[in-house]
Amino acid sequence: MFRALRSRALTAMIILAPAALAGCTDASTGSGSGSGSGEITVAGTYPIESLDPHGPQGGGTGTQLAARELFSRLVRPKADGTLEGDLATAWKPDATATQWTFTLREGVKFSDGKAVTGADVAASFKRLIDNKGTNAANFPGYTMTATSDSEVVLKATKPDAAVPGKLATFYVVPASVATTDAAFFQKPVGSGPFTVEKFTPSQTLTLVPNKNYYAGAPKVTRVTIRKMPELAARLTALRTGEADVVWGIPDDQLGQMQSDSKLTVETVPSTAVFTMWFNSSTPALREAAVRRALWQAVDFQTIVKQLYPQTGGLADAPVSPITLGYVAQQPVTYDPNAAKAALTAAGFDFSKKLRLQFANAEFRQFNQAVVSDLAKIGVQVDLLEKEQAVFTKDLLALNWDINFQQLSNPTFDAANTLGRLYPCAAKRNGYCNPQLDQLLSAAGSSPDQAERVKLYGQASQIIWQDAVGMFPMAVKYAYAWNKRLEGFTPDPNGLPDFSTAQVRGS
Amino acid sequence: MIRVIVKRLLVGVLVMWGAASLIFLIVRVAPGDPATILLGPDADPAQIAELTTRLGLDQPKLTQYVHFLADVARFDFGESYRLGRPAMSEVLTRLPATAELMLTSTAIAVVFGVTLGLLAGARPGRMVDRVVSASTIALQSFPTFWVGIMLILVFALWLGVLPSADAGTPAHLVLPAVTLALPFTATVARLTRTSVAETMREPYIQTARSKGLTEPQVLLGHALRNSLIPVVTIVGLHMGGLMGGAVIVENVFAWPGLGSLIVDAVAGRDYEVVQAATFLIAGIVMLFNLVADLLYSRLDPRIKLDTVS
Repeated sequence: MFRALRSRALTAMIILAPAALAGCTDASTGSGSGSGSGEITVAGTYPIESLDPHGPQGGGTGTQLAARELFSRLVRPKADGTLEGDLATAWKPDATATQWTFTLREGVKFSDGKAVTGADVAASFKRLIDNKGTNAANFPGYTMTATSDSEVVLKATKPDAAVPGKLATFYVVPASVATTDAAFFQKPVGSGPFTVEKFTPSQTLTLVPNKNYYAGAPKVTRVTIRKMPELAARLTALRTGEADVVWGIPDDQLGQMQSDSKLTVETVPSTAVFTMWFNSSTPALREAAVRRALWQAVDFQTIVKQLYPQTGGLADAPVSPITLGYVAQQPVTYDPNAAKAALTAAGFDFSKKLRLQFANAEFRQFNQAVVSDLAKIGVQVDLLEKEQAVFTKDLLALNWDINFQQLSNPTFDAANTLGRLYPCAAKRNGYCNPQLDQLLSAAGSSPDQAERVKLYGQASQIIWQDAVGMFPMAVKYAYAWNKRLEGFTPDPNGLPDFSTAQVRGS
Repeated sequence: MIRVIVKRLLVGVLVMWGAASLIFLIVRVAPGDPATILLGPDADPAQIAELTTRLGLDQPKLTQYVHFLADVARFDFGESYRLGRPAMSEVLTRLPATAELMLTSTAIAVVFGVTLGLLAGARPGRMVDRVVSASTIALQSFPTFWVGIMLILVFALWLGVLPSADAGTPAHLVLPAVTLALPFTATVARLTRTSVAETMREPYIQTARSKGLTEPQVLLGHALRNSLIPVVTIVGLHMGGLMGGAVIVENVFAWPGLGSLIVDAVAGRDYEVVQAATFLIAGIVMLFNLVADLLYSRLDPRIKLDTVS
């Protein structure tokens, strides 16, 4: 096999040698990569198609990555999940957590030199709501008013203790920007650390420091975020010096990156959890005893250890440890005999096939292993790898029996996952439990943070024990970056900030 | 000839209407819709319904089709749902990069393919013929995706002489163009080989030899021109296939062309961009076929353009 590969490579080399020599260049310097002094090139997985954080794609990974470089937020999460002020220096709720007052930082300017005022913040919030994107759904009927140039007040329609966390995806643009303004977002004005030098949607975003940034202009001279959809090309670009930063590196490639002396490799705990909902409206999965038994039949510990030795860990809650509301639950022990006995006792029909859907090829092996373990006790599962468009449509239509997703949480608050996805009204997985609804509602509205964690812990216990889904793995993101880059901090949501990075010697 | 060209262009209008209608139907029959994809799995049904209405996708398909045809007649393909810019202008922005890639690949394929085919066809059954035949079978067998990755590993990572991805300099063009050209080179080489081998058995070749011409003179002066006729045809017909290959190659090498735009548009159910790109590609393929037919009659005066049509 190896010999065959080698001979094919040799053949290709012989054929290509003249062409290669004709176009010969030093790849590490000829690419316009981060090798230029003070410049960083990022090889991105996802396309940045729009820079409008309030538009329909505002919740998308590409837009969020760009938005945090270009715009400021009232608050932003730190790497450990706690919040810090960005435009806001202080915030406080009223006694019922229905009204939140934010004091704005003084002297903040947009990249065009104009001051950022309360009116800009309130207008941006209205724009977010009017555009009806996914992030707007976090604020149903909420309004924001500017009480002065340095203060805004957000009024919620119901007590909402998660407002600060939810605002981690709310970005401020000048008040003059219309609800739809494609031209503005081709080269937007913001108060973030960078401004746009050039933007080619879905291809390349080139950023330069915003000299008016309130925390001081970034030290790098240019950041180029380039879409490279192919993993091999991304990793090769990193190793040749054409790219400086890559993340989302799978375990089977990490060894090579770690053995490269030019690279720094780090894995960081993320907010993401592998989540495998059962469709509780499927007759075969209506009973909690059946769902629990299915969970018990899969040896997740072994699967995670084998497939994700560095980027995974057995999950012990429906949310990750760095999320507000995380409370560890009792691990589910792998016991196929007990699982089979429980299924038989519950009258489970082994002749009927369950449908397990997932969307991304990178999760194929994991789901195959799950199907294989279930088959060992006689449970038949059709593994359905779907295109993203089909997957999403079927997900929302509950057209599945088991659904695999990697659920992350940009707000670092369980309100965004437990509170949003598990109430009866959400209709996300066919599960409905009035007691759970009550707990989630109370947790979402209590201004007391310790009380919220306690309530989310109780809610997690119900979700865990009723096996609304299986929660096999807490995800870590693997980052690799060129050692010439200093001050770079990996982000738990895969959305790193380059404002603190600098190139050694530049 | 003018009459034939005009006739072909008129038929082309019908072909373009057919292509536009077909792609309109296909993108809408495919499961999944733009609003759901744009908003992502976190959206609720009310948001999806609202965006569907805003995009005009709640109207009956027939109404959408009529509007679509009226817009196409004005060369207006609407605005990309994802990029918020006119779909056709986005397609035209990406076209030069793809054209550069395809033309370079075609040039590589024709130069190397014809040369290898000539060498092999001049003396069928000899060592050169056997090596060329075996190599071309191998080249046609390797998946483009795999070849691309291999070339990146060898020339970018191991040898460090070429960039692995992106565009902008001639060096960036080498790997994607060669990846795209390899299977096409094999096709051209095999076709040329067969054609040359057949031509070399023709009586007029014997006559040329008996006149005392050297073998290269016979090959280049007499055999090549007649042997090129099927090659010209295949080059014209292969443009569609090359476009398909470009979709894969552009993704592997992050080449900022039409192929990667189409992949993203299909995945994102960006109907407007898919329709604009497909329409343009159909037009280009049609044009290349016409040019191939014109060249065909030019290379062999015995062939009338009417019969080619």
